[in-house]
Amino acid sequence: MLEIERLQVGYGEIRVLEGCSLHVDRGEIVALLGANGAGKTTLMRAISRLIDPIAGSISLEGEDITRASAAHVVDAGLAQVPEGRKLWPEMTVEDNLLLGAFARRARPQTAASLAEVYAIFPRVKERRRQIAGTLSGGEQQMVAIARGLMSQPSLLMLDEPSLGLAPIIVAEVFASIRKINASGTTVFLVEQNVAGALELASRGYVLETGRIVMEGSREQLLGSEIVRKAYLGL
Amino acid sequence: MQDTLATLISALLAAGLYATMSYGLALIYGVLKVINLANAGVLMLGAYVTWWMWDAFHVDPLLAPIVVLPLFFLFGIVLERVAVRRVIEQEPIVSLLLLFGVWLILQNIAYAIWTGDTRSIETPFIESTFKLGGIQLAWPRVYVFVAGALTLAVLQLFLTKTQFGRAIRAVSQDREAARLAGIDVERIYAVAFGIGIALSAFAGSLLSLLFPFGPDFGQALQLKSFCIVVLGGLDSFVGVAFGAILLSLAEAFGLRYMAASLQNLISFVLLVVVLIAFPKGIAGIIRSLRRV
Repeated sequence: MLEIERLQVGYGEIRVLEGCSLHVDRGEIVALLGANGAGKTTLMRAISRLIDPIAGSISLEGEDITRASAAHVVDAGLAQVPEGRKLWPEMTVEDNLLLGAFARRARPQTAASLAEVYAIFPRVKERRRQIAGTLSGGEQQMVAIARGLMSQPSLLMLDEPSLGLAPIIVAEVFASIRKINASGTTVFLVEQNVAGALELASRGYVLETGRIVMEGSREQLLGSEIVRKAYLGL
Repeated sequence: MQDTLATLISALLAAGLYATMSYGLALIYGVLKVINLANAGVLMLGAYVTWWMWDAFHVDPLLAPIVVLPLFFLFGIVLERVAVRRVIEQEPIVSLLLLFGVWLILQNIAYAIWTGDTRSIETPFIESTFKLGGIQLAWPRVYVFVAGALTLAVLQLFLTKTQFGRAIRAVSQDREAARLAGIDVERIYAVAFGIGIALSAFAGSLLSLLFPFGPDFGQALQLKSFCIVVLGGLDSFVGVAFGAILLSLAEAFGLRYMAASLQNLISFVLLVVVLIAFPKGIAGIIRSLRRV
């Protein structure tokens, strides 16, 4: 579904990713783990075509999107829920969601998508007339995920969905991610919360200072020295 | 009492005009984060086009917006595509200088085509007045006020009820989130700039009904627009309308106690006071109330 090969990305002189290769298959939940500053968000931004890679390639369902426009990538079925939610703070929750269906592929089904995301997030439905900037962090995260789903993605990328949330809310958010995956959407998840991410994901990668240092199944990662020492504190 | 009422009505009518000439500035700043220093030039050209259609082709100036709005919308789009787009991501001073240059060019084009003579439009409607409870009012001023209020209503509907309008607001609130939703941000820039320029030219067309003008027209108004937009909080149209009312009230009542030549002083004092006391403008105050 998503295939990344030897991707190099940088800002100006600074190289952030030094040749990352990874793949996400249809139906999976894959986690990308790593500390702050490892380059996880940079990778997400490159995949969503917010920044240009220096070298390497990105392909989505067999189509090369390395140089595609951000809008094209959304139309091809990829949605990203960015770090820090990035809702449009002065708009109502419902306006945020309606704009999530801006892409051509999603527009004709806007009403159906809206009913769908309200079914997944009843709390978002309760808040639909509220100004997005006035919601709590957990509610904002749910709106952000709901907005991502409004574009009818086949691959949903989530950048740090648990960041800054209370553990009980994190559990709720993770449960909804599992539900979304169960209904057929592939999920690619970036997380610092390694324990939580590995409960969700069946497979994962570890990114350290711009390089993939490890990949494997949940069990392999949980059993590995790198993950246990550096991320789980065991 | 009668006096106070007359001042109040006059201030309110002026507010409609002030608001209309500031919407374009606020829209362009809100979306592109660029301050349109060419605003005065566009006001002036809007007035000239209205006058010229009346003078040369006897087109009623009330019909001029039918031509002015699409013409300047296109002009705005071309200006954005050719010039403004290249400087959006750069330091603010670059776009300020660019648009200041555009203003100078527009001014000199006006000198070249229409000379420096002062122009004014005279039609029976423009000179007509009526009495309301003993207060003498000019029809064109009422007309301009209504046009300003309608503009606000149409803008609000467009920005909140249409998908394209929502996309414009999305770009102004978070560009990157807009890109992630598949919104073509560059296209939004061009359209928003086009609408902003069209609004300013429309305001200029309305101004030509009230004031005589020449190529330098609009300088003092430009500064008032800045004051209003700062009062209103730079990207809220309702805020801009409030800012316009506040400024015109301050001017109207201030003038009862000081010389008319000091009128511009009022707007600048107000500007400085607001920048120090409420740096986020009226919209910021409303917002913090709503959050409570």
